Amino acid sequence: MYDVCIIGSGAGGSPIAYELANAGFKVVVLEKGANYTEKDFNKDELAVSRRDMFTPPLSEQKHIINEYAPDGTFTRYDGEKSGWNFWNGSLVGGSSNLMSGYFHRLKPNDFKLKSVYGEIEGANVVDWAISYEELEPFYDKVEKIVGVSGKIVNHKHQEPRSSLSFPYPELQTNGVTKWFDKACEVLGYESIPTPRAVLSQDALKRRGCYYSNFCGSYGCASGAKGSARAALLQKCEAKIITDAFVYKLESDAKQIKKAYYYTKLGFAHAIKAKIFVVAAQAIETSRLLLNSKNKFFPQGLANSSGEVGKNLIFSAGGSGQGRFVFEKLTQKQQEELMTTGLFFNRSLQDWYEYEAEGKKYKGGTIDFLFEHQNIIPRVKREMYDAEGKLLWGEALAQKIHKTLTTSRVLTFEVFNDWLPTDNCSVSVDDTTEDKYGVLVGVINLNGHPHDLQVGEHLAKKAVKVLEMMGAVEISYNISSAPPPNLVAGGCRFGEDVKTSVLDKNCKAHDLENLYVTDASFMPTGGSVPYTWTIYANSFRVAEVIKKELSS
Amino acid sequence: MQTMKNKLSRRNFLKAGFLSSSVMVMSGCSLFSITTPQETLRVLQDDLFPKAEALGINTSSYLHIVFHHSRISKAEKEYLKNGVKWLNEEAVKLHKTSYVKLLSTQRENVLQNFVKTDWGEVYLADVMNYLFEAMLGDPIYGGNTKEAGWKWLQFEGGQPRPKERYL
Ligand SMILES: Cc1cc2nc3c(=O)[nH]c(=O)nc-3n(C[C@H](O)[C@H](O)[C@H](O)COP(=O)(O)OP(=O)(O)OC[C@H]3O[C@@H](n4cnc5c(N)ncnc54)[C@H](O)[C@@H]3O)c2cc1C
Ligand code: SF4
Repeated sequence: MYDVCIIGSGAGGSPIAYELANAGFKVVVLEKGANYTEKDFNKDELAVSRRDMFTPPLSEQKHIINEYAPDGTFTRYDGEKSGWNFWNGSLVGGSSNLMSGYFHRLKPNDFKLKSVYGEIEGANVVDWAISYEELEPFYDKVEKIVGVSGKIVNHKHQEPRSSLSFPYPELQTNGVTKWFDKACEVLGYESIPTPRAVLSQDALKRRGCYYSNFCGSYGCASGAKGSARAALLQKCEAKIITDAFVYKLESDAKQIKKAYYYTKLGFAHAIKAKIFVVAAQAIETSRLLLNSKNKFFPQGLANSSGEVGKNLIFSAGGSGQGRFVFEKLTQKQQEELMTTGLFFNRSLQDWYEYEAEGKKYKGGTIDFLFEHQNIIPRVKREMYDAEGKLLWGEALAQKIHKTLTTSRVLTFEVFNDWLPTDNCSVSVDDTTEDKYGVLVGVINLNGHPHDLQVGEHLAKKAVKVLEMMGAVEISYNISSAPPPNLVAGGCRFGEDVKTSVLDKNCKAHDLENLYVTDASFMPTGGSVPYTWTIYANSFRVAEVIKKELSS
Repeated sequence: MQTMKNKLSRRNFLKAGFLSSSVMVMSGCSLFSITTPQETLRVLQDDLFPKAEALGINTSSYLHIVFHHSRISKAEKEYLKNGVKWLNEEAVKLHKTSYVKLLSTQRENVLQNFVKTDWGEVYLADVMNYLFEAMLGDPIYGGNTKEAGWKWLQFEGGQPRPKERYL
């Protein structure tokens, strides 16, 4: 019998494996994907970005998506037929292998959205069960163990920190960053070097970043990226079983007894453990609990509250861009612009909270970065002329050549709260099954109009910076389209057993030995990407489990 | 060794099946001619982006990979094949013969007409999608010979490069 069985080897599961295995406990991790190490990763655009080698084929595993309109009606999409893909990374270390590692902490007010900013009609906003102060030591721990590089600049929304600076110096930046800093100075904005879960030098028995130019979506061949695999699983003795798809947890009225999984060849196995930790990424975690219903929990495991799957959230906002063209630049600037590899790494948080028409709003973060270097989408975008007509032949060749060799796009990403609502949730379909014969997850999608209003406010600020920098073709798109890789909620934590699934330590209210440690616990998401918070919270829960097993 | 070689060529022959399978081109209700996706797509890709050949890149051989790729759906493969039929039917309608048998000015005329329909435009964009994959994917896939596509656009592929194809 294992002390701990963890389902899912990503950012949510791995801190538990690392802490418990290193404390001498017997830990097993069940991961449905395969294992890759630094030696296996490469920059094959066709395999990684066009053939989706790290996610399951939609013909074998998919979701059903119900997209809600403001009037409460919805349109149903079959993931396979529509190509709407919510998989992010099935491999040891999960999607954290493929992240870009833009790392921001939540801020103290993110933990008490309801108390500070009040109720918003149509949204299920609540305060968190813990405060920033309780999570802060674990944010700090992530900086040191996973490795966060950056430079602290004091700005008006800088959150309190127990360490003065980051343990690793900031990564090298492209010359264009200086244009950005200057533009911000003129505009009176506070330019922040973006903290990154990327080692800027050799450390922690991992190699420093070699500026491969292909970071987000790609596995890291140096180990510099703070993936759950490189930073945690490869640094502990937890047993990892790959190609193990967990389809059911078995329980009595008080405890989980076994986790059942299918191997690649479809054989069923079971694992016994004292404590079970689910971290299959928000959507799949709720799906597993719902699919594990039994006579003690007829609505789904740990679901006496009926809250499992409810209040799914994403990162709201959108993105925008501007282009810098040679015609408007000096020779030196042209060279700076076209230097690849080095990061842009700048963020703005001036409007993390702002006032408009006498009302206080919770705002968000804007990250600036160069357009992804994948060449095929950049070329394909040139296939149409200004009127949207398809081009071919010599005219197309000339357009592609000019655009790609004499200009470069700077993009920005806006992150603001995706307000939790009744129509944004996870359930399981009544009939549609995946290749294992297990009912697929249904993703109900609904965006609150408030999210768009805040997103617009932020995007307009970003546009001002691009204009000041001299960019052309500036555009942005704020929408309620959910970013599949930035997902949270579904198993809220809270004090009240009637309105939450987990207690403040992320243990199921209903069961003595079930914890959930991916982003499912988050009742609201903050206005940043989630991974730093997922890691920190999982380290926090690891302490609780360690105490429990020691007593 | 000999047996292995035979097996391989047999496999390649089977794999070649989809591209060399016949496509019936209809004129009204009667069968007008038979062509293969390979034949039409080779000429079509050259018409759409002659620069590839000028750079020494053979984009049509990459179509073998597309038609047999485990991660490209059957529906997508069927769609690519059906488009060959539609394009040829347009050629027959306008110039009374199949696409590959036309003069380049006539083919351009077919394309200009074909692109006016929504489905024609979407289809040509799809063909170009694979053309650019061939031309700008890693050279290991057999397009982008000697990185000619990347060099043309002053692009450097990321390191490390793949050691084998992902099929
Ligand atoms: C391209 C990309 C860029 C990103 N960039 C950033 C960024 O810049 N900053 C940031 O903060 N975040 C970023 N993210 C998001 C980040 O990767 C996630 O927030 C984080 O990895 C989530 O952790 P998790 O443990 O919930 O899920 P994951 O890390 O995805 O791990 C879940 C694991 O569970 C496995 N699993 C699922 N179901 C089962 C099952 N039934 N049985 C067994 N195993 C199962 C999956 O295969 C997977 O390996 C990015 C993500 C992607 C894809
Ligand atoms: S080497 Fe650096 S840029 Fe490349 S994937 Fe790793 S962390 Fe990202």
